[in-house]
Amino acid sequence: MSSFTRSAQQWATFARSWFVIDARMQPPGKIATMCSVRLQGKHKPIYHALSDCGDHVVVINTKHIAFSGNKWEQKVYSSHTGYPGGFKQVTAAQLHQKDPKAIVKLAVYGMLPKNLHRRTMMQRLHIFADDELPEDIRANLTEELAQPRKIPRKLSEYTQEEIDAFPRLWTPYVETHMHTQSALKHSKARINALTTCSAHVCNTAHKNQYRRS
Amino acid sequence: MAARSVLKSVCTSLAGLKLGASGSNVSALQRINVPQLSALTIQSRGIRQVVEKQEGKTTTVEGRSVEVPAGPQPPNPTAKCPIYRWNLQHKYNYTDVLLLSQFIRSDGGMLPRKITGLCAEEHRKIAVCVQMAHRAGLLPDHRPKLPEGHVPKKAKPQLNRVNQAIWLHLLECHHSVHPGSQ
Repeated sequence: MSSFTRSAQQWATFARSWFVIDARMQPPGKIATMCSVRLQGKHKPIYHALSDCGDHVVVINTKHIAFSGNKWEQKVYSSHTGYPGGFKQVTAAQLHQKDPKAIVKLAVYGMLPKNLHRRTMMQRLHIFADDELPEDIRANLTEELAQPRKIPRKLSEYTQEEIDAFPRLWTPYVETHMHTQSALKHSKARINALTTCSAHVCNTAHKNQYRRS
Repeated sequence: MAARSVLKSVCTSLAGLKLGASGSNVSALQRINVPQLSALTIQSRGIRQVVEKQEGKTTTVEGRSVEVPAGPQPPNPTAKCPIYRWNLQHKYNYTDVLLLSQFIRSDGGMLPRKITGLCAEEHRKIAVCVQMAHRAGLLPDHRPKLPEGHVPKKAKPQLNRVNQAIWLHLLECHHSVHPGSQ
């Protein structure tokens, strides 16, 4: 801003900020793109690849991450120990069970530029599986980023008033007097027919009426 | 529907009486028929709650009709399908749980079309949305009942899922659904 002193403007432009992102019920890929943009410093107009202008990013609640589709069972993370027969493949579900931070870490690692700066940028990424942050990191946080995906509300999260305010779209079949009136006439006619005619001298008309029920 | 089924039962009972007892009196027929006829003359049979009262040695089981207050009127009352009655044809999504929960049983399955009155395509669409809602974990209380005494062997990992398939025409006009707000 033009009203700042030169030193204040210098500080506002070049200081390294700390962002926090809540990964609860979010797809890890979207979280990772936001992280990689800010770790490289691409959200700043003063960006240059060599100027080391990236910021710190803290990701919390990574154990509540949500994949779309069947990726929990189908996405495979591969690695090789270097020894013969050391090729390992694990599904996303297994990897998440073993280490809840690994999915986000690998996603961000794959999205950063593949150069020597990548390791320093990964050092500036701080991932936590749940809400709890150490005091020094909590003291450094400057901005919280909005979640990329809107979380839909569960039915249990609606209040009883909201549920009652929503109108009923259909009602179960209710017998009204109109239905019973016509049914009554029909059944009375049938009963009259049955009581008047005997078993041997039944008219075919009566029989048909009777069978058509 | 229920009236017809009651009539069917009346007629089958009459058939049994006619064929079985050739010499049965008119009075016998009348005696058996009268209670059923009087049941049909009740003015409006809505949803009833069963109330049991025990006074000493006598137990009274009573069906008290519940007075359902008339809710807001649908904007298109002449249509057959409830979705068309409320003009919600292309306006709902798997996230509109308040709408979807009106068409499901307590264990999460869909109610039959003949009871809800939905047309075939809307019934299919709602079934698909209900499946998506179950997958996303938006209906946590509508789970199938496990048999009694069943203990799960291993605690299954709670994995969150996200649904991405949204109908394209909903992408433009996606907002929270409330019938009658148009």
